[in-house]
Amino acid sequence: MDFDVITHGIVAGSLYALVAVSFNILFRPTNVFNFAQGELVMLGAMIFASLTSLAGLPWLVAFAATLVAVGIIGLIEERIAVAPILARSQTGTGWVITTLATSLIISNLVGRFWGPDPILVKPPAPLSMDALEIGSARISSYEIALVLITLILVAVVERAYRTLRGKAVMAVAEDREAALLRGIDPGSLGRWSFFLGAAFAAMTGVLAAPILYASTSLGPDLLLKGFAAAAVGSIGNNRGALVAGYVIGVTEAIGASLLSPGYQEAVIFVVVLAILLLKPEGLFGSPNARTV
Amino acid sequence: MKVPPSLPLLSANKVDAGYGHVRVLEKVSIDVRQGRIVVLVGRNGAGKSTLLRALSGLNRPTSGTITFDRRDITGARPNAIVGAGLLHVAEGRRLFRRQSVTDNIELGRYGLRLTEQEHDRRVNRIHELFPILQEKRDLPAGSLSGGQQQMLAIAQAMMREPKLLMLDEPSLGLAPVLVDQVLAAILSLRAQGVAILLVEQMVERALEIADDAYVMQNGRVIAGGLAADIAAGDALQAAFMGEHGTPDHSGPRWSVS
Ligand SMILES: Nc1ncnc2c1ncn2[C@@H]1O[C@H](COP(=O)(O)OP(=O)(O)OP(=O)(O)O)[C@@H](O)[C@H]1O
Ligand SMILES: [Mg+2]
Repeated sequence: MDFDVITHGIVAGSLYALVAVSFNILFRPTNVFNFAQGELVMLGAMIFASLTSLAGLPWLVAFAATLVAVGIIGLIEERIAVAPILARSQTGTGWVITTLATSLIISNLVGRFWGPDPILVKPPAPLSMDALEIGSARISSYEIALVLITLILVAVVERAYRTLRGKAVMAVAEDREAALLRGIDPGSLGRWSFFLGAAFAAMTGVLAAPILYASTSLGPDLLLKGFAAAAVGSIGNNRGALVAGYVIGVTEAIGASLLSPGYQEAVIFVVVLAILLLKPEGLFGSPNARTV
Repeated sequence: MKVPPSLPLLSANKVDAGYGHVRVLEKVSIDVRQGRIVVLVGRNGAGKSTLLRALSGLNRPTSGTITFDRRDITGARPNAIVGAGLLHVAEGRRLFRRQSVTDNIELGRYGLRLTEQEHDRRVNRIHELFPILQEKRDLPAGSLSGGQQQMLAIAQAMMREPKLLMLDEPSLGLAPVLVDQVLAAILSLRAQGVAILLVEQMVERALEIADDAYVMQNGRVIAGGLAADIAAGDALQAAFMGEHGTPDHSGPRWSVS
């Protein structure tokens, strides 16, 4: 087997890990899984592609505008689709339906703005998608950067949970009522988490665009694999999500190289199901586990 | 802005509250004056915890009013009530068991802007009063013993320096020597001018350190006044007698936690 398979797996796995981290950001204070997360990633890629290749905005400006725009969409989703459900019952699961509905609404609406053709997005200079030969592996400078940025982003997110506000989020995740008694406002942390989780998803879309192309059909696939990475890495655990992202990415790449491409999804499913059957809480501990 | 001695710091006026459609409190009125220890006693299920929950905003009163530090806090959100200086250490302590002792103490000042000096002063004071917490600062709160957890809960409250601290059964499950330590901590808080509203099953011990007392039964306050008068009066007997005139749950509850 060729070393390329591993590098491709790591690159794809980094993207899955980022989707999983965006799930976790949102999940921690709310206990809500946002099934529209894949569409938020897609929106990030599409809005960014339009702003750069169509409107010609500079890379950084387009990047910032995309994150804010999708962050606000996440906030609107929280207000309309999630907060009313949680207000009725903290343990209710109605959000499964409402976030799925949000996902469907977004995926239907985007068809009115954008055609079905993928948009090519170039990486910011001096990075490029041209393959470099490093030993026996072929990988582009952008892909190397993506793998490194993913590591940095996971470290930054984990660092954020070491601040007092981050600890308050973990407190809400552990015992919402106890957090209320310490003057913590879970509602406000939930809104922030939706904004930041959505912006993080958009960033994932921007980062993915040079590799996957920006397309309106990006959502479901990343939702599924990001969700798998979050579940295998233990929900709420970002380092777990990183490792699980790699596992899923590499499994997928190996599956694709050994079997015909049509089976690679099946291979992922078998591996993910096997892991979750053996360890339902994921590879890295219980739900919400404290990650130091 | 100090409340004049004549005006109570906390005043609940004919408060009704409960859980959803279950009504527990009926026209409960109590006052807590500045710098005093007020003890709330009554049998299991009398509604003591429910009253504290109504005061801290966890359970919204269905009627009646609550004023604290001259402000109407009826129906206010818990974080607003905490911000006003009314703090509630809930039954069972409710610490963040997965976070470290230090993190729990720091969460006690969530939302406050303290200078570094002031922050360190408060932390030092906590470590002086409870040296064990300094020793265990990096361990998860869930790994502490019951007594240490109670100290941590009080320490967390001390970070905020509330005007009024409500403690729900702080002695529950503690060995006698630790009960002494907790009661001593309560006295030292009063010495600093903090008012205390204490729910206790160890009625005699609580009445010894209290200034004022209220007796609750079936969701109502059946007596209130100076702790010494309550200790000598009939209401206490009545509240702790079973329906057939037999003493019931009057002793300390040594449940294992
Ligand atoms: N979550 C709840 N939902 C419905 N009813 C409740 C709930 N919690 C308590 N109650 C009821 O409210 C009444 C008062 O309970 P509360 O906990 O206030 O009593 P308490 O005086 O604190 O008793 P204890 O000494 O056992 O702590 C009881 O009849 C109890 O069954
Ligand atoms: Mg109680």
